[in-house]
Amino acid sequence: MATEVATPRTKDLPQRVGRFTTGWKLFTVAGLVVLAFAIFAYVRELGSGMIATGMRNVGTMGGATWGLYITMVVYFVGVSFAGITVAALIRIFELGKLRPIARTAELLTVVALILGAIAIIVDLGQPIRGIVNLFRYARPQSPFFGTFALVIAGYLFASLVYLYLGGRRDAAAMAHYPSRLRGFYRWWAAGYMDTPEEQARHRRTSFWLAVAIVPLLVIAHSTLGFVFGLQVGRPGWYGTLQAPAFVALAGVSGVGLIIVLGAIVKRIVGDTERVSVDVFSWLGKFLLGLLLVYLYFMTVELLTLLYATPAVEKQLSDALLFGPYAWTYWGSVALLAVPALVLIWQAVTRRWNIGWLVASGVAVNLAAIGKRYLIVVPSQTHGTLLPYEVGSYSPSWIEYGVVLGLFALGALMIGLFVKIFPPLPLSDEEVMADA
Amino acid sequence: MAKYAMVVDLHRCQGCRACVEACKIENNTGEGMFWMHVFRFEEGSYPDTRMSFLPRPCQHCDNAPCVKVCPTGARFKRDDGIVLTDAERCIGCRYCELACPYGVNYFNWQDPEDSQYAEMIDWTDPDIQQATGGAVPPYRNPDLEELWGSEQRRTGGGGHAKGVMEKCTFCVQRVEKGGQPACVDTCPVNALLFGDVDDPDTPISRFMRENETWRLLEETGTEPRVRYVGGKPPSQSYTEVERPKARV
Repeated sequence: MATEVATPRTKDLPQRVGRFTTGWKLFTVAGLVVLAFAIFAYVRELGSGMIATGMRNVGTMGGATWGLYITMVVYFVGVSFAGITVAALIRIFELGKLRPIARTAELLTVVALILGAIAIIVDLGQPIRGIVNLFRYARPQSPFFGTFALVIAGYLFASLVYLYLGGRRDAAAMAHYPSRLRGFYRWWAAGYMDTPEEQARHRRTSFWLAVAIVPLLVIAHSTLGFVFGLQVGRPGWYGTLQAPAFVALAGVSGVGLIIVLGAIVKRIVGDTERVSVDVFSWLGKFLLGLLLVYLYFMTVELLTLLYATPAVEKQLSDALLFGPYAWTYWGSVALLAVPALVLIWQAVTRRWNIGWLVASGVAVNLAAIGKRYLIVVPSQTHGTLLPYEVGSYSPSWIEYGVVLGLFALGALMIGLFVKIFPPLPLSDEEVMADA
Repeated sequence: MAKYAMVVDLHRCQGCRACVEACKIENNTGEGMFWMHVFRFEEGSYPDTRMSFLPRPCQHCDNAPCVKVCPTGARFKRDDGIVLTDAERCIGCRYCELACPYGVNYFNWQDPEDSQYAEMIDWTDPDIQQATGGAVPPYRNPDLEELWGSEQRRTGGGGHAKGVMEKCTFCVQRVEKGGQPACVDTCPVNALLFGDVDDPDTPISRFMRENETWRLLEETGTEPRVRYVGGKPPSQSYTEVERPKARV
């Protein structure tokens, strides 16, 4: 049979594509178990209503009506920022040595946006109606519209096109290897032959798409900031700094995650040369730059809060800095400041260590989740303009379960992708090897 | 065109919360939902304390932040000034609740049937059956199910459906029939006034001419249609006392 001949050859695909090892299978099973638990939790939530979550009404009910789900929406959409930014910068400024990381970055953007979209849907009281009515009765005047139309639709679509276009050359090359995935590669390549003419057109398209996508993503992340920043009725939200600070923290968490993902891909592919320390040092410097911008925003905000605070804002800032949210606040600050110092040290000594970079990437992502939580929740429990008693919010196991499931889904998507498509652009030898 | 408004006379309000009760009965709202809420405030420290009351219905703002942020137009403002929720269009994103500085929105966290106070009583108990004659609440007001106004949307009583938002409607189902909101009709001391402010001869128009009025959180620019007479705006030094059981 033809497949029996082809199957052993599948092992020869470059970058260990198609090699479903025991470790990979264990990872997938673990991911599926977590995902199944999340689906179970969400079905419970659908059945009983959102009373199953820890969220309650603001005001007389003393709760927070947006909780962990919206925190994760903001976090995931934030993460998506960096992937496409890095990929676009590589094209616009022709950063050749960073090219190996481009596909990983694009993949991260696509996955993060899908997770962000799911997180929005699970937060809706009427999810099915939401999917229909958000398009049917769309109102551009609502800041939420930007999150749906720009971020989820426009931005996700543009990122998918980017990932697709960027992969055509490799798909064409992969189709030359005999494997069970040949049909998939042919479909992806869609007739691409890698002639000089095609290469030139390809480069041109990618360049202009990159030029178009950078303003789109700044607008998209700003509208996400506007969801909060335009609300005069919520102390702690209303402010012009909200949109730019969202963009900055989005960059911090996203670049941090690219570093982590880059290191994982490096391990999976077993490639020590192409994803070199140079790539990581560039990402580290980029992360440091964004981190310093964000720390600057944060300091400015803190000084404004402490210097001359209206009474309601004071109640909120006291809760943040010294009250029930102090651990989260100062913990997040530490998880941003320490990586900043580590990165500065590495930049000064010019000795970049991938282990330290990965640790910094993980730390800034934990901090990003913390900071997003602190934007979303305290303004509801401690930020009512009428003197309601202060409220409280703690997520229920259903919310934790669903959020864990989102991470599992993301890991599964990335895990599957690297086994069916080379995560790094094929080298010339890998392309030649098809003969 | 009628333009509806409400005036709350704080000189008269005695904090009895009869309006809260009337609202609950008229609109059949679930446990923990207070479309009309009366704050009971305490100010100062013992023995120099002072008590004050502040009824807080939806303010039906002319520049309503909830209407602005609604992604689907489920929250809308009618030409006569009433702000309503279309229960069949609302997707339950709860953004209106966060945009509102007054805290008047209530989300149906569960099936409204399950959040009824009536659920807490065993209606099969013979003693209770003797008193009720076998009838099992909740009493259903058919007016709440109808479509109202030129928009013909499902707005009366907020719709009461799991996963959607609801709030005070100025009792649109009563106003459409020429009546007054339930809270206004019930108030034993006539502290609440409701009517058409476009017509200079209505009692509310006369009252607003004769008295100085103020509005809640004027600084947020929401242009509320509910005005207050007497008392003063609450400050952060007020402590809310005797809160109703509100966490479900």
